[in-house]
Amino acid sequence: MQTAIKALSVRWKRCPLVYRIKHWQAGYRLYRLFIYLFLIGLSFVFLYPFLFMVTTSVKSVNDLIDPTVHWIPKTFEIKSYMNAYALLHFLPYFKNTVIMTVCSVLGQLISCALVGYGFARFKFPGREVLFGLAMFTMIVPPQTIIIPLFVEYKELGWINTYLPMIVPSFFAHGLRGALFVFIFRQFFRGLPVELEDAARVDGCGAFKTFFRIVVPVVTPPLLVTAILSTVWHWNDFFEPAIYIVDRSKFTLPMMLPLLGESMNKATGGTVTSNIDQSTIMAACMLVILPIVIMYFEVQRYFMKSIERAGIVG
Amino acid sequence: MKIGLERRKVISGYVFILPWMLGFLAFLVYPLIMSFYMSMRKMTSVSGMEMKYIGWDNYTRAVLKDVNFIPLFYAAIRNAFIEIPLILVFSFFMAMLLNHQVIGRAFFRAAFFLPVVIGSGFVMEQLLGQGVGSLQTLATDPSVTSAGVTNGLQIPDAIARYLSPEMYGNLSDILGRLTLIFWKTGIQILLFLAGLQGISESLYESAKCDGATPWEMFWKITFPLMTPVLLLNAVFTLVDSFTDIRNQVILYVKQVAFTNIEMGYASALGWIYFVFVFLLIVLIFAFTRKRVVYMGM
Repeated sequence: MQTAIKALSVRWKRCPLVYRIKHWQAGYRLYRLFIYLFLIGLSFVFLYPFLFMVTTSVKSVNDLIDPTVHWIPKTFEIKSYMNAYALLHFLPYFKNTVIMTVCSVLGQLISCALVGYGFARFKFPGREVLFGLAMFTMIVPPQTIIIPLFVEYKELGWINTYLPMIVPSFFAHGLRGALFVFIFRQFFRGLPVELEDAARVDGCGAFKTFFRIVVPVVTPPLLVTAILSTVWHWNDFFEPAIYIVDRSKFTLPMMLPLLGESMNKATGGTVTSNIDQSTIMAACMLVILPIVIMYFEVQRYFMKSIERAGIVG
Repeated sequence: MKIGLERRKVISGYVFILPWMLGFLAFLVYPLIMSFYMSMRKMTSVSGMEMKYIGWDNYTRAVLKDVNFIPLFYAAIRNAFIEIPLILVFSFFMAMLLNHQVIGRAFFRAAFFLPVVIGSGFVMEQLLGQGVGSLQTLATDPSVTSAGVTNGLQIPDAIARYLSPEMYGNLSDILGRLTLIFWKTGIQILLFLAGLQGISESLYESAKCDGATPWEMFWKITFPLMTPVLLLNAVFTLVDSFTDIRNQVILYVKQVAFTNIEMGYASALGWIYFVFVFLLIVLIFAFTRKRVVYMGM
């Protein structure tokens, strides 16, 4: 017994100090306090860009110049939101972005679920190789293939439409499609196979089984994919900037760098492109507001889904 | 006609992954081959897309003649090598903390993911242009960094007073870089959290019964079981870092392709880049093959 206690204490001595303090009754409180301070401090760093955007967007011109005003403006103004709304031509571009995002996300949801299921449930020759290739698509920088893709889409007549973003999504590609295939595959691998076997014994075909038995329980990875895909498509700038030439078909993020220009047009070109900071920030807020609202709405389910999606096989 | 169950399963498997295979051929294999074909050629007429075969000239030009490419490439690699370990260590640490029973866990989780929601696109560019994070890109001129007033991680005035201006500059530069790196960790924290949730509680309990200390439990249970996620995160971070829109090489390739309209040369640059990233990932896999622990395999 004595030796056992002694051995234990030797091992405890090898523990870093933090653990020893934590183990000690009064030290535990100190440790908790420290953890909370640390978390609160760090979450400030992470919330910083968002807070900056919110406060700057409601500042008046005077507040912007005033060095004593840092976080809380003296007057709250929504004028810059009105300005930004008008300069962005919000509604038509909002519609464009929604169309592009919704179609692409739907495509990725359907196709990635199917493909992930195929990779997880069926044994066929060359499965491992094909899955390896699927993961390999993740590491090809889009810039390597963007030029031939551009030529390809041009021949198909897809330039100036949203098809270059939407169609690959329906084939389990598109923005980070491989990652979603991976998430779905991992989820299906963790799912007990008995239910599907029972359905098959009762005479259900593979596709009927998939849609009747599997899809209803597949919410966790669906939600994860839906959120990540929506966020990435909504914010995507690289692809639309290359494939869409026509101004009227731009998406919302593409309008941000053009703010100065449309300001010029609004003032008849007399004032050079000096938009104040608060208008720019208000415009940024308007662009990301839809996805931020969506994120806060589903955030709770999202975190639960992440835990249940079993990304880690 | 009667098909055996096994055969039918094989066929349905292929049918399920058929969309991916078609997409793979149309949106990846074909453009990859085409871009390799173009990288051997020089464009003679822009309007007619006419090209002339010049062999490996584009490649030798990139490596030997281009004064921009190699330094940018080197900078991108250096940044990635600083960034990736930092991101991995930090997000692992954060996930460990958030896995505890802390009050307001939901809030903290949401907060740490927020930069992903707003920061994956052009909005972040605008913010950085406004002086948030004090750096515009990780590799631009140093004058921008010292001009940055607003910053997530700031040195308190009380400490700044005792530092020489030079040291203050360096320190705020480091903190600015750290802030930018932190903002990129949302997805990684999430994946690590998911991994930690997947570790069965009974393992820790039995270890505790055997008198294991928390330190030992971390190294003998948590860490080995997290190696698959670590690998996934390492690859994801690597790819993300090399394909980031703020990456200087990417910007350069885009400029060569669409501003200078030298499609052949841009393809060659893209290929060099791609082969390098690919080799890195192969290296990572080769290096970690024996070290990654898979449960139930």
